[in-house]
Amino acid sequence: MSPGHVLDLYVKRDSPLHRLDDRAKLVGLAGFLVGALAAPARPPWAALALAAALLGAAAVGRLPPRALVRRLVPLALVIGGPFALSRLGGAATRAAGEVFAVRSFLVAGAFGVLMAVARPADLLEVGGRLPLVGGFAALSEFILRGTQLLAGEVVRTNRAWALRAPRPGLRLRVGALTAASISLLGRAAARSERVGAAMALRGFDGRLPPVPPGPLPLSHLAAGLAFGFATLLLGVLGRWL
Amino acid sequence: MVAKARTRDPLALARELSLAGLLGALGLLLPVGFHALGWGGKIFLPMHLPVLVAGFVVGPGAAASVGLIVPLLSSLLTGMPPMSPPLALLMSAELTVKAAVASVLYRRLRLNFWVALAGALIADWAVLALAAVAAGRFFAIHAPPVRYVAAALALSWPGTALQIIGAPLGVAAIERRVPRLVAARRRGSGEEG
Amino acid sequence: MLEVNGLSYSYCDGGTALRDITFSIAPGERVALLGPNGAGKSTLLWCLVGVLRGEGTVVVAGTKLAPGTEHEVRRKIGLAFSEPDDQLFMPTVARDVAFGPRAHGASPQEADRRARLAAQEVGLDESLLSRPPHELSSGERRRAALAAVLALSPELLALDEPTNSLDAPGRAALASTLASLECAQLIATHDLEFVRPLCRRALVLVRGCLVADEPLANLLADQRRLTEYGLTATVVLPERGPTR
Repeated sequence: MSPGHVLDLYVKRDSPLHRLDDRAKLVGLAGFLVGALAAPARPPWAALALAAALLGAAAVGRLPPRALVRRLVPLALVIGGPFALSRLGGAATRAAGEVFAVRSFLVAGAFGVLMAVARPADLLEVGGRLPLVGGFAALSEFILRGTQLLAGEVVRTNRAWALRAPRPGLRLRVGALTAASISLLGRAAARSERVGAAMALRGFDGRLPPVPPGPLPLSHLAAGLAFGFATLLLGVLGRWL
Repeated sequence: MVAKARTRDPLALARELSLAGLLGALGLLLPVGFHALGWGGKIFLPMHLPVLVAGFVVGPGAAASVGLIVPLLSSLLTGMPPMSPPLALLMSAELTVKAAVASVLYRRLRLNFWVALAGALIADWAVLALAAVAAGRFFAIHAPPVRYVAAALALSWPGTALQIIGAPLGVAAIERRVPRLVAARRRGSGEEG
Repeated sequence: MLEVNGLSYSYCDGGTALRDITFSIAPGERVALLGPNGAGKSTLLWCLVGVLRGEGTVVVAGTKLAPGTEHEVRRKIGLAFSEPDDQLFMPTVARDVAFGPRAHGASPQEADRRARLAAQEVGLDESLLSRPPHELSSGERRRAALAAVLALSPELLALDEPTNSLDAPGRAALASTLASLECAQLIATHDLEFVRPLCRRALVLVRGCLVADEPLANLLADQRRLTEYGLTATVVLPERGPTR
């Protein structure tokens, strides 16, 4: 675990999709999600078209196939399990299972592409400007910063542990792990007090000062809208045709 | 959370935000650690423990916020729990209710720790039952919700045990290092600072 | 600038941390706050900014510290913590340093300008501003934390063990920075060599009591008192010396 890089599905590339404004990416995602949730499993053309659109987006983002696979493979059990069980049921259950599987993969794929081309901190910044989401975005920033600090503490504790007990027995290992975890939690809580004090001392009044938005290039907005609208239309048409 | 924030002591609010952020961070990291060790997330429920502890050490608003955010953030960052199937949304609902109930029972009503813990767990199971009803309707499967809840509990009893053992240890560790939490609870006030 | 009268503070468990502390600091004055570990130096600093609420009075640039005036007092006193990681809580250094001005109502452009100025004042390279704090070295993080405090242009700068984990060049650079600042300073430290060129006056805390308030040069010349106050000590090796 390296501090600061514990949780990050971002794939560093220089691609049109990476350069696209995050707001435009979110607009595109929103349209795709509506399309994915509207699209039926049968006939499959709408779902296939949406999958193709997703793969197209991944290609524009120059994402290696393993980035998407890495995101989807852990879901195989979560999606495949209920799908497999649904095959044992009646017609309505089987149909529901197909819809479930199709939508799950499409939505998971969409989020996979998004998180591969946009950094969480940047997305949270965008979210922080939205009226209802703003407060939660602030807490999310704190949580992300907390992961960096905690990961650093864990690394240091592991090193200290390795130097003092390179080959511990199971009993020592379990006892020490429990004690170390409790101690780490207490230390981290005490540190969180000081961080809170630091915020208050610098004038924190309950809200993190928002970062003002930069201008949103029309071409970016158009690209996001085009993708979102096209995929939404695919899903809706698939449902109604 | 933001509107109420403006009327509270900034120092108290900042501390609460910071502590909530810490426990939220643990809620993100513990599942990563468990998965790395190959210990199943659905069995040990590693995300539940820090959020439950948050319910005992911060106010209901902050606790509910942590419960709401952590599964969604984890889904965005790691892909688990997934947004679709909507396990992230389900966990969000579960943890929001669990943490909020723990906080109300322990910090506002000043009930005994074990009573508050039991209340939080029961509230969690109630949300699971509701989710089971919804899932059953989607899959056109007609079975009593209690059967789903029983199946979920049977699978995740190690996680429930982990919470029953880990929550008091975690809360004690934090209260020992942050004595103002004990004083604030004794006052039973809305100010955690 | 700062008037402290009869300040006392006890912990939740009843232990007394500060007993009846009285002193004042004039505008622009640099004062060393000395004392051994556990003397109460950090506790005193926390009390000055209202994070810990003791008895007695604290008046900062004419504003008495009381419930309701903390915001104003905290704008006038900048406190740099002993552990810089505790003060860096934003995703990037730039946002961290700009946080204070923004929280006090400055426009984004003004906050950015003040942040760059503060970074320059402490010798923090501009290329580091866009990085997350955890990517900086410990010396750089200390400078970033100091810049974050200076961005608010405080009238009194309080520093808690500022030379912790700094190498000799780092200490020298910090001393130069502090010497160039016009605000009053209260430097809590054990590092006598660091404060020697910076401060003319010293306050000495021992077990929560203010035992000395005098010119620093006088104190440093009195080895007996330095030892008595726990500010220096002689290393005594066992007769046989190290055997391992």
